[in-house]
Amino acid sequence: MLGRVDVKAIVIGEQPRLGFLRTLRITVDGIRYRLFRALVTVAVIAVAVAFLMNILSEGIIKRAVAANTRERIALNREVHRWSARLTTPTDRDTLLALLATAEDGDPLLEDARQFGGLTPGELAALRTAAAEARVYGETIERMNYAYRRRILRGATGAAAFDTLASPDGWSVFIDGVREITGVRLPFPASDLEAFAATWPAVREKLVRIRAGQADAIATLRAMRRERPIMEALADADGAFGEAIRAAGFHLDASQAPHLAAQAQREIDLRFVERSIDLRTPRQTVARAYDILPGDVTLPRLWRYLADRTNAARYLDALAEEDARPDHFSVARLQELSAFRREAALLERAERRTADMGEGWMGLGARMGWLLLVSMLVCGIGIANAMLMAVTERFREIATLKCLGSLDGFILLMFVMESCILGLIGGLAGGLIGALIGTGRMLVAFGAVAVPALSLGALTQGFLASLIVGIILAALAAVYPSFRAARLAPMEAMRVE
Amino acid sequence: MSTSVLVPEASAPARAEGGGGRRVIIRTVGLKKIYVKKGVRTEALCGLDVEVYSGEFISVMGPSGSGKSTFFNMIGALDSPTVGRVFIDEVDVAQLTAEELAYLRCQKIGYIFQSYNLIQYMTALENVTTPMAFGGVPPDEARRRGMDILGIVGLADRWFHRPIEMSGGQQQRVAIARSLANEPAILLCDEPTANLDIDTGQEILDILRRLNIEKHVTVICATHDHRMMNICDRLMWIRDGQIERVARRDEVKVRVGRIGGQTSGAAGAGERKA
Repeated sequence: MLGRVDVKAIVIGEQPRLGFLRTLRITVDGIRYRLFRALVTVAVIAVAVAFLMNILSEGIIKRAVAANTRERIALNREVHRWSARLTTPTDRDTLLALLATAEDGDPLLEDARQFGGLTPGELAALRTAAAEARVYGETIERMNYAYRRRILRGATGAAAFDTLASPDGWSVFIDGVREITGVRLPFPASDLEAFAATWPAVREKLVRIRAGQADAIATLRAMRRERPIMEALADADGAFGEAIRAAGFHLDASQAPHLAAQAQREIDLRFVERSIDLRTPRQTVARAYDILPGDVTLPRLWRYLADRTNAARYLDALAEEDARPDHFSVARLQELSAFRREAALLERAERRTADMGEGWMGLGARMGWLLLVSMLVCGIGIANAMLMAVTERFREIATLKCLGSLDGFILLMFVMESCILGLIGGLAGGLIGALIGTGRMLVAFGAVAVPALSLGALTQGFLASLIVGIILAALAAVYPSFRAARLAPMEAMRVE
Repeated sequence: MSTSVLVPEASAPARAEGGGGRRVIIRTVGLKKIYVKKGVRTEALCGLDVEVYSGEFISVMGPSGSGKSTFFNMIGALDSPTVGRVFIDEVDVAQLTAEELAYLRCQKIGYIFQSYNLIQYMTALENVTTPMAFGGVPPDEARRRGMDILGIVGLADRWFHRPIEMSGGQQQRVAIARSLANEPAILLCDEPTANLDIDTGQEILDILRRLNIEKHVTVICATHDHRMMNICDRLMWIRDGQIERVARRDEVKVRVGRIGGQTSGAAGAGERKA
């Protein structure tokens, strides 16, 4: 043994890095070996992500529902807007708001220009003034009522400007503003003073527009004689439509048939809702539901009419009372019922989306705060799980270091592991959250929610919550594994 | 089972000058390790000067708590000394960067632990090929070499088993195979037979001896096992963090007690000598 020559020499060289894929394989093997623990961690992440995704998806759907509903309700109420325009001259405040907010090319603007006999230049100046009035008007409206009463005689809107433009109105106002500490103007007082000086001219134009509209309305009233406006509007694509145009209102020819149909529907709806006060129809419905005739309500009536045979029975009942209109058919009744029930859904959706939060993906400040806290809690939960996982694997880490692994490998291994867990948890949580959110919205809004389900926006929210899940898990793993990787092998083995 | 009493005849110095010009592969200078935990100071090693020659089989003996394992960790570059230096092939371990340390542990030193320390989620073959992967050996070659090494320790047909499916002796043999993965120059064994029965322990010792003779690996073995004396070149006793005695094997006489006519590891088994 003494004469041995071929002993191994030691030359210190550079340690190569292990490839990404091999690290991945080792990591996956490790996860599969500790499947139960991994599943628990995945569950924690999934819960966090599901919560986030639930809130996001509900926000997305709710926002889409709100937009759809508003649009459709506005469409359904088109005929009501027309009946108002054709019977009552627009008051000054509404006119100011219209001039301030209407987009270029709005037919209502054109109407206003014609009624007032304004040139396009004058109209543009009036719109600028209206926009200015809107800013001042909002400030005045927000004022404490007691103060407003003292400095503006309690007036708001156009009346407030009247007060300001009156002989000693401005001095009373400005003295009050200086005296009362609770009143602050977010704009220079001189601007408002200048506007008040121009107000009489603006007012004169507004009055002219109003007067022009009143003349047109008088003409139309003479035209339709004693006919109610709704009935007249049912003829919007006929003679009465011509009359409307002749009087100076801007009625699009393509819009007229639609308007007429809506008016007819309004008349029919009102007829059916009033017909329930007749004895035979009311008893028919009461018998079908097995309730007292007094308990027949409108929602019940409309639900009753959804069915074909019911509608036919109701028509017979109407005929018995000699009240059946000629154009009523089973199909028409069903159509009216469908419309009425959908309108009820829309109204309910509108009420329920009234508290919609603003901001990113429909998150309000309150929801944002709730999310932040829940993310924090889940982050700590994941960090705890990872800390435990790393600590109980100190022996393994020490062994790997004895075998010559680099610190980077161990760090990469653990970060990779938590990323994989984060990915799985994120996918599962995102799916669960989206399903719960969609389900809840479908229950809350019914059929109205269906057209609001946009796959694109939901995918966006899904990706966002997935990324949040992965980042949360990766961040939680970095510190403990960094600490473990830096330890000398035997120190790591001693920590038990 | 067996009782054996060591009767030292003569003491040899820790720095064995009788090396006959052989290369010193591990040298420690004034090695001290002091653990401070919760204000309690424990001096595990109090100034060790040791030289180990290349190609040597050396046993480190001593009672529990004598500092054997601490010493073992120091010379294996697994822990850093409080005072003093460790030279491995005249390279100061304290001067190495983290990457160089990893290289040293991967390529030059093989470790065998009392509790095997196999990676639980890897098969026997994967346990053996992992150090090769760290050393940059391509996967196919690593598998081929891993099977060869498993053949050496007699486990070629169990390569696909996980540690949990193997007995202690088999696990320890996998651990030996793993320590040989990158053909190290030094093999450090921390009580390799402590958790094994006599026969299995003997098998492990045989394997170690064979490696020492055939592959010229320097083996340093911390042990309680007196059979080790049959096969080692030198013995070193550590007590209370200090070297009590160093002796060549032929300087140590062992009187072996007999139980039921069974003789345990007879000293001076000449046939084992190369």
